[in-house]
Amino acid sequence: MKRFFSLVSAITFMVLAGAATAKIKNPETLVFLWNSNITSLDPAYIGDTASTYSSLNVYSRLLDNDGSNISKFVPSLSAEVPSLANGLIKILDGGAIQYTFPIRDGVFAHRVGIKGDDGSITWHLYDDLSETDRAKIEPGYGQITAEDARYSLMRAILQGESWMANAVTEMITSGIYTNIEKWAIGLSGAEKFENVDAAGLAATHAALAEKIRTEGENLIITLDSSFPATLGIMSLPFATSIIDREWAIEKGAWPDTAETWLDHHKPKLENNPLFEVENGSGPFMVEAWDQAEQRITLKRFDGYFRDPASLKRVVLRTVPEWTNRRLQLLAGDADFAATPPEFIEEMRASEGVKVESLGQVYGRSLFFGWPVKAEGNPAIGSGQLDGKGVPSDFFANLDVRKAFNYAQNYDILLEQIQQGRTVQLRGPTVQGLMGYRSDSPIYSYDPAKAEEHFRAAFDGQLWEVGFEMTSYYSEGSTEAASSLAVLQQSLARINPKFRLRVQALTRSAFREKTYGSSNPESPLSYMGWGPDYSDPGGPLGAASYYLASTGLVAGFSGDGYRELMREKFDPLLAKAWALNDPAVREPIYARLQEMSHEFATTQFMWEAVTANVTRDWVHGYVHNKVLYGAWNFYNISKHE
Amino acid sequence: MQSYILRRLFFLPIVFFALSLMIFSLQMLLTPIQRLSAYVSTISEMKGGQEQIAHLIKKYGLDEPFITQYWLWVKGVLQGNLGWSETARGPVSEVLLSLFPATAELVVLAFIPSFLCAIWLGTRAGANHNKLVDHIIRFFTILGWSFPTFVFGLIMLMIFYGFLDWLPPGRLSQWAMTDVGSSDFIRYTGANLIDSLINWRWDIFFDSLRHMIAPVITLTYVNLANMTRLMRTSMLETLRQDYIRTARAKGLSRRVIENKHARRNAMLPVTTMAGMELASMMGGVVITETIFDYHGLGQFAATAAGSLDFPAVLGFALYFAVVLVLINLIVDLLYPFFDPRVVLK
Repeated sequence: MKRFFSLVSAITFMVLAGAATAKIKNPETLVFLWNSNITSLDPAYIGDTASTYSSLNVYSRLLDNDGSNISKFVPSLSAEVPSLANGLIKILDGGAIQYTFPIRDGVFAHRVGIKGDDGSITWHLYDDLSETDRAKIEPGYGQITAEDARYSLMRAILQGESWMANAVTEMITSGIYTNIEKWAIGLSGAEKFENVDAAGLAATHAALAEKIRTEGENLIITLDSSFPATLGIMSLPFATSIIDREWAIEKGAWPDTAETWLDHHKPKLENNPLFEVENGSGPFMVEAWDQAEQRITLKRFDGYFRDPASLKRVVLRTVPEWTNRRLQLLAGDADFAATPPEFIEEMRASEGVKVESLGQVYGRSLFFGWPVKAEGNPAIGSGQLDGKGVPSDFFANLDVRKAFNYAQNYDILLEQIQQGRTVQLRGPTVQGLMGYRSDSPIYSYDPAKAEEHFRAAFDGQLWEVGFEMTSYYSEGSTEAASSLAVLQQSLARINPKFRLRVQALTRSAFREKTYGSSNPESPLSYMGWGPDYSDPGGPLGAASYYLASTGLVAGFSGDGYRELMREKFDPLLAKAWALNDPAVREPIYARLQEMSHEFATTQFMWEAVTANVTRDWVHGYVHNKVLYGAWNFYNISKHE
Repeated sequence: MQSYILRRLFFLPIVFFALSLMIFSLQMLLTPIQRLSAYVSTISEMKGGQEQIAHLIKKYGLDEPFITQYWLWVKGVLQGNLGWSETARGPVSEVLLSLFPATAELVVLAFIPSFLCAIWLGTRAGANHNKLVDHIIRFFTILGWSFPTFVFGLIMLMIFYGFLDWLPPGRLSQWAMTDVGSSDFIRYTGANLIDSLINWRWDIFFDSLRHMIAPVITLTYVNLANMTRLMRTSMLETLRQDYIRTARAKGLSRRVIENKHARRNAMLPVTTMAGMELASMMGGVVITETIFDYHGLGQFAATAAGSLDFPAVLGFALYFAVVLVLINLIVDLLYPFFDPRVVLK
């Protein structure tokens, strides 16, 4: 059998060596092979990174990030970036904040409407029209205006489907309501959303319309109080993407009336009229989306308001099998291939292939949960401190958490598992985010200190009797298996009575035992959760995600974790969020980062890195951490 | 004959019902949270937290009782609605219909040489019992039998694509995909070979053919062994029959005896088996399609199963049941043509 595998390996290497001699194939088309799939073409519906590949390239937003700088913004459909200095941000009486977005003139969507002799509108591709025909475009029909921006934001909020659309609701309500349903309940006084009457629905619409309105070609957004992440949210390629109002209504989307918004609230994917159609103003338009073959073809939009993109087409194809993706990349038929982490180094050594390591906006950690489900939970064994299990609130003990953190061998994680590509994670915020300081305290592998804390925990009983416990990870992650194995061995070395079991679960089973419940089954799990904008505060910021009692991590880490956050972290988070001056906010977030170490809230291991594996003729990728590696194809070109 | 067909057709819905009930019951062993996998593709979609999870469970009716969920599904099926596939982002029935031509095209192209080769090789081996030709053919077929599809497929892919760049994966080259997607190219059947011929696009025809050679060879080779071995055994038995001895005694040439008198009778069991092979190929090209990035039903089924996309899995199971039963029926009906002694009642 060994000989057989040697033969196969030899053939493989011969083949791969031979394959790396490809010339540029499809010079104007970028072939992008991945194992993901987009959910919908409706930017208001989506909340996942894969779907942003369409929304980012097909639609435009009011603002864009300034290249890879996640805290700076540049104009897009808005002709200027609002600021206090240019007067487009105003602080009103009572502390309300008003943002003005002057909409750029002369921007057209991919399809525009022309009125016929009978008064009916027919839609045409803008690129196909002659100059004479373009002069006949009906005003507003495919021409991007402030009304389109207002409609797009209101529609996303009222549709309320994706968590990113709900983030806009949080922004508009300055964090008071996390979705439109709660806003309606709050305004109507009803107990449940189902009980909100017509008057309540109308009042909700009116309240929203008051906060998002137009004045000529300006979009005006008024917030009751400060929400520092506003510009960050407005630049994300989700619910803040601007669609053409008239086209959307004709397709059957929300008709922009107060009485009808409930009919268009939380539609099923297949019932959403904008599920598989688009009319954005971005640099590419969707030429074809073959759902069965999982292939989407984007075609260059020559009428883009900036210079047209260099690529003529982009083809995103789902190819589940890695060997196939690899061979297509090596043969030059593909320009990008999604690559499993364990093959990155191998690809780096391949001729004609370029590997770019990219930092991510989040880290990989082991999450403590307490209390976990006590009854019938195999993860905690006997459920007692008797050497055959652990109590359900095992990690409520600060000494236990600290001992676990000292027991992890971070050097092995960084040097052997991560092969020196990244750095140790110092807390919820990574490099580049506010509050990150390179000299903040971190744990290091220290068996003596681990022993000291283990002996101190439970009055020494833990050290005497030991424990058995199961930690979980989602199957397929070698990094997860390795990091848990390192901890497992280290614990056993510190005290042979410490038995940590490591178990891989299917994605669905893992979800059920970990983040699928507010009181999880898993006491210790490997995960990584990242923020959705650069600001560490607010509902979707890094610090809040990990350290707020209402944050994402607290949501699945148990009552004990939530209580700790409520008592120790919430006051500082609220204080920082209420401030506008970054210079004053930064030390507070830095302190929160330190406190995450002090209270050993999580075992922070390493900053996540990913890699782009492309042919070396692909140029122009701009990495933006907040986009989680999503490609903006506008900047991409192919040349030797 | 008619009553036989009617009787067979009568049992069809019962088979479908039993099959669907079995698969549906299996999926219901999972909890609603686990079954959510069918509706969320990435962890980031769950960022709404507990509220989002509860919303999705309610939205897709995953907390409804078994009977309610099964009834809703069956009701949909009876109306021609097999549900929504989250994997393909489309109605299951439409997805199955759109991918069927691709798989059918591949399977037919693989089955015909597979069947003909098996008959020929089996005849040669049986007629040359324990001679060099027999040993070579047996070695060749055993090799094919013992090769897992994914190993043989990967070797094919690596040599003929990775090294020689002759036989690329996928269904078409990028330029051809663009042309096929344009308004100038009219889709009639969904099968690239046929559509390109009707459109008089020989360049696309040959490109499509080029993409199919490697998966066809793979499928042919790994499916050849069973039929060849059966044909050989059957041939050996037939050649020992009295009527063959009589034919020899009458002075008929060896070629005439083997090809005209022995082979036709020896083919009877192979025909039955060929039907089953064809049916299993129609539903079992999962690995071949996945390795060669050939977007057909097999690859779709594999992706759907991996994502716990239950409507798609159920739809595929139903499709497979239909194919299995229909091919079985066709083979049974064809049997009297091969063996006049058989009468259908």
